[in-house]
Amino acid sequence: MHVNALHMLRRDPWFLTGIILMFFFLMVAFLGPFLAPFSPWNMDFLPLSPPSSAHLLGVNDGGQDILSELLYAVRNTFIFGVISASTALFLGVLLGAFAGWYGGVVDLILMRLADVLLATPAIMILILVAALFRPSPHLLALILAGLMWPTIGKTIRAQTLSLKQSLHVRAARQMGGGSAYIISRHLIPEMFPLYLIGFAAKARMAMFMEASLAFLGLLDPSRKSLGMMISYALQYYYMDIWWHWLFPPIVCLSLLIMMVTFLAISLEKVVDPRLRESLPGRLS
Amino acid sequence: MQGTVKKGRGMGNELGLPVTFFLAALVMTWLSYSLPRFLPGDFITATYGASQVTLTAEQEAALRAGLGQEGGFGLYLWRLVRFDWGFSYVFQTPVSALFFSALPWTLLLMGSAHMISMAIGFVAGVEAAWRRNSPFEKGMVGGMTALEGIPEICTGVILLFVFALQLQWFPAAGAETAYGEKDFLAHVVDVGHHLALPLCTLVLAYFPGNFLLTRNSMIMVIMADYINTARAKGLPPFRIRYVHAARNALLPVVTRFGMRLAFMITGALVVEKINAYPGVGTLLYNAIAARDLPVIQAVVLMSSLIILMIFFALEWAYRIIDPRIRHAR
Repeated sequence: MHVNALHMLRRDPWFLTGIILMFFFLMVAFLGPFLAPFSPWNMDFLPLSPPSSAHLLGVNDGGQDILSELLYAVRNTFIFGVISASTALFLGVLLGAFAGWYGGVVDLILMRLADVLLATPAIMILILVAALFRPSPHLLALILAGLMWPTIGKTIRAQTLSLKQSLHVRAARQMGGGSAYIISRHLIPEMFPLYLIGFAAKARMAMFMEASLAFLGLLDPSRKSLGMMISYALQYYYMDIWWHWLFPPIVCLSLLIMMVTFLAISLEKVVDPRLRESLPGRLS
Repeated sequence: MQGTVKKGRGMGNELGLPVTFFLAALVMTWLSYSLPRFLPGDFITATYGASQVTLTAEQEAALRAGLGQEGGFGLYLWRLVRFDWGFSYVFQTPVSALFFSALPWTLLLMGSAHMISMAIGFVAGVEAAWRRNSPFEKGMVGGMTALEGIPEICTGVILLFVFALQLQWFPAAGAETAYGEKDFLAHVVDVGHHLALPLCTLVLAYFPGNFLLTRNSMIMVIMADYINTARAKGLPPFRIRYVHAARNALLPVVTRFGMRLAFMITGALVVEKINAYPGVGTLLYNAIAARDLPVIQAVVLMSSLIILMIFFALEWAYRIIDPRIRHAR
């Protein structure tokens, strides 16, 4: 990215908030298992006990320490988002660049496929697959990536088409550079800022979906997840559990989604104001 | 450049649009037909395999026939159009009856949430863009960006906590008071009272997106020359804003709608469950909890097809609103 863009980003409060949150959640994701005071699957404690010095956020209905659960849940949601978004980004960039560069039949087939995928509601496919086969969360993340690459792919394709006409790419072609050379050396590196936006937007979608699927009870119940914690805590809504059991996962989930939202919005503002209109992938 | 950008925005061309949606519908139907067939065993073994019940061969055959899962893809399609979607394990009623008793509530909730959030998001976005750099605009953009980061699960639970449990202004569950014999007007008020909390949650979730999209596109539109012309002619500002500018600012809101639909559907499922609203989302949740596979299968397919139809209508409407797309070819 240009120096100017970095300078602009550094003064953007939304970007700074997003980055600070990102570092915070990166720490939790990496250090969570070491920070957790107990194993989140340890069921030895007095169920539904309020917060104490031993259990800062109390104990849930199954006798498990809520703070430890929370640390593992944040880590799981974060990792799900990263896996799904990076795979979607990889697919989108590769297929988008191929479609734009080769054109013709490749373009036709890939873009028709993208249109069909854009129209199909991803969540419904995920619900069906999760309810029938109970796959591992990582597999679900990959399936989600396979369903949500088209927004990135279309942006990259449009960008590739305009780059194809640019002087330096034409020069590289004249020089005798092959397709693989130009795609890997010119096209893919030059579109770099778009990847950050695409990644943030897809991570937002993936984390939101993971929390919702877990909330609906579609993920492995032994895997700690923010959505599942909220869903379990909500069954005891009439008791005095709101502040230590229900609100911590809610706050964590909101902060996670805010992190990616802020990063996507601030990056999009900086990268190119003219692109604002032509980026259908924004936050979707 | 201009041409490529425009091409990347819409979905397919005039002829391709129906084909795209037909293919998407076919893919969904085929997945719904074939995925259960990849299961080791079928619906019957999936339910009874893990339980203590041992079925005789006749019982098994009878259950299979009752479920209506036999036969090829053609038969599946034929059953589908005849609303013969099999039987629910749990309720022992036809799935279509369950679905159509839940659907009106979801349509009411989603429809009103979209109307309200579209209307206020649009007006607020236009006004904010018109007053660019004013405290009103800055505050709104900041607040809405923050709100955009809060998912429906969180707003839903917080609203439930504050307004249903602490203040007790609104009921925490249901869509109408059970066994209440009321006249028509009282019944409408009762339904509205139950609708308020899930509706507010969804409006809070949809409104920021509508607002930010309208504001961003309106800012681009206002800079165009024809707005200066309209101003120079001495037209009243209200007329410039809504008759000249806003129509063009509406486009991204419509085009992005489809892209945001995935979020919206997911959010609506969750909100219905949080507020125990008896719509399709709650039906699906209960079916998942009870592993009621025929219900999951039919509800997923039918909701997908309805979503596809709405999406298709919107894409069509988008072409009508935008003369540039209509006249481009």
